[in-house]
Amino acid sequence: MQDSVIVHHVTFTGIEDPVDLRALGQATGLADIAIRVRTALAQHFRITAVDVHVRGADGAWELLAGSAPVDPASVPPVGPDSSGTVRFWAEGMQAIAVQCLHDGRILAIRVDGQSESRRFDAQDLLTVRMALMSADAAWAALQHRRHEKELVFELNRRLLQLNSLIDTGIEVATLDQAVSPCHLALERAVALTNASRGTVIVRRDGGEISRDAFPPDGDATSAGGTYRLHSEFVFQGETYTFEIVDKETRTGVQAFDGTDRLLLDALSRQVEASLENRFLLKQSLEKQRMEQDIAVAASIQQRILPSTLPEIAGYSLAGINIPSKSVGGDYYDCIPLRDGRYLLVIADVSGKGIPAALLVSSLHAYLSAYLESAFSLVDIAVRLNTAIHRASTDDKFITAFFGLLDPASGSVECVNAGHNTIYCRRADGEVVDLCKGGIPLGMLDLGLPYESEQITLVPGDRLLLYTDGIPEAQNGVQELYDTHHPLRDYFASHIPATAGPFIDALMEHVRSFVGDAPQADDITALYLMRRA
Amino acid sequence: MEQPFSLTSEVRENRLIITTNGYVNNVGGAAIAEEFQRHFTEGVRHVIIDLALSRVVNSVGMSFLIEIIEKLTDAGGRLVFTNLDPSVDKMLGIMGLYDFAGREATTEDALRALAIRS
Repeated sequence: MQDSVIVHHVTFTGIEDPVDLRALGQATGLADIAIRVRTALAQHFRITAVDVHVRGADGAWELLAGSAPVDPASVPPVGPDSSGTVRFWAEGMQAIAVQCLHDGRILAIRVDGQSESRRFDAQDLLTVRMALMSADAAWAALQHRRHEKELVFELNRRLLQLNSLIDTGIEVATLDQAVSPCHLALERAVALTNASRGTVIVRRDGGEISRDAFPPDGDATSAGGTYRLHSEFVFQGETYTFEIVDKETRTGVQAFDGTDRLLLDALSRQVEASLENRFLLKQSLEKQRMEQDIAVAASIQQRILPSTLPEIAGYSLAGINIPSKSVGGDYYDCIPLRDGRYLLVIADVSGKGIPAALLVSSLHAYLSAYLESAFSLVDIAVRLNTAIHRASTDDKFITAFFGLLDPASGSVECVNAGHNTIYCRRADGEVVDLCKGGIPLGMLDLGLPYESEQITLVPGDRLLLYTDGIPEAQNGVQELYDTHHPLRDYFASHIPATAGPFIDALMEHVRSFVGDAPQADDITALYLMRRA
Repeated sequence: MEQPFSLTSEVRENRLIITTNGYVNNVGGAAIAEEFQRHFTEGVRHVIIDLALSRVVNSVGMSFLIEIIEKLTDAGGRLVFTNLDPSVDKMLGIMGLYDFAGREATTEDALRALAIRS
């Protein structure tokens, strides 16, 4: 037993392998392998009649190398598990060997033309068989290399898709890019899915707003194209549709797969997120700009409101304005006139914020202009009503109170243009209501007259001008200040020696009533008392 | 803006310079491979591909580029890419093309690199 193994080994190693396996390893295909095997066998047997054939699944034989067609009858039967069969005929002058390749095809080598003196022997038989097996091994190795290469390529492609998806997410989120997020995502979608072309269309109410194609001449919505894939989303009432056409291969086109669907949807979602971020940023910037505008408006309004009130001999005067927002709709002033008189004014524009502030500016400008002329107070009220009506929208108007004070005589001409009742407290404690005048300024321009009333202040008399922000100040349970503490009574019962303490005390009283509740309306007050 | 695919080529100092414009896909890749093959059979072994006007390359187009690299490598030659868009540069890197091909900022740089190599 031991001897026969040794003999077998010696016999096998004694067979000459005619094929250079290294050379076979460099072959680029089965035909190339066949040519190399044929050349090697021809050189080995010193004959030219060597042919290599392959039989495909259809049963037809194809000549790979050599010149003679194969005779199917001469081919020995071979099954899928056959590792090689060799057959001789014509009394050993011809040999044909077959091998079932790894891919199921049958490879056959036919060697012909041995002379009478050089018939094929057992060693030649093994040589042909080894050549055949080498060809099979080389073909299998080549296929494995190709498969490995394809696997590496596919692995890299997946890595690329993942990486590109991340990069695209970052790039479409970049705000200062030259390429639009839609176009960038479309380019990536086309490239990553191997689509031949793509389009992104934006529609609103069924109408097309914009269309972008990649490549530029490759509108995906045009005729042609076998396979299509689309993804869409709606943002701010606009529908964004990404469509790609025909997944390319080296030999034609094929249908898109599940990964392509995921990629297109992911890229589409990235654009949606980017648009949303841009929208939110734009809103934030607009809000920032608006706040800056409001700050400017507030600054302008602060210049309109008096930083200090004039000193009027024999009188004590104090005022305050606390807007509920950055800019308010209340206005007050004490304007010295050229003839030595003073105009006390307080006003409240309907509404709040910038529109109210703009109307305050208008009132200030018109009033300043009319005071330069010799109009009576009633005339000024009429003109202001017309001017404000023209300068404002229908829902805007101004309630105002004007008091034209002659400090020497103490006389005050009063016009109340739809404003709260203004109080005058006599030195003896009597409170007089001042409400004669007319409609709020700018409410109607029908030529309705304004009328005035006259009072005379004597030492100890006091005037309180205010806006509704004081009586209507609300506490945490929406109760009004005036309900619990009628302003008229407070005014009557608090009689400090000078104006400033009254304003301070009133504000503190209102604040203590309101507590932590937010200020709902602008608060403005002007207090005048005659001292001597 | 990227245009429908087109290419131009010139041979300078026995180096083939292919300049592409547009989407390097099946059509673009095949056109590059065809242009390369025409010069390869005439003995050109060093190739520069200028992708300045090609911002998008798909994997089918890339497979043609890989074939060119393999042929040149087998023949002792070399391929150098130039003027790459950052996204294409990254793509070629991930796909492993720089294991066997070079990249330079400009065509002139590539010509200099190939001159040193040969």
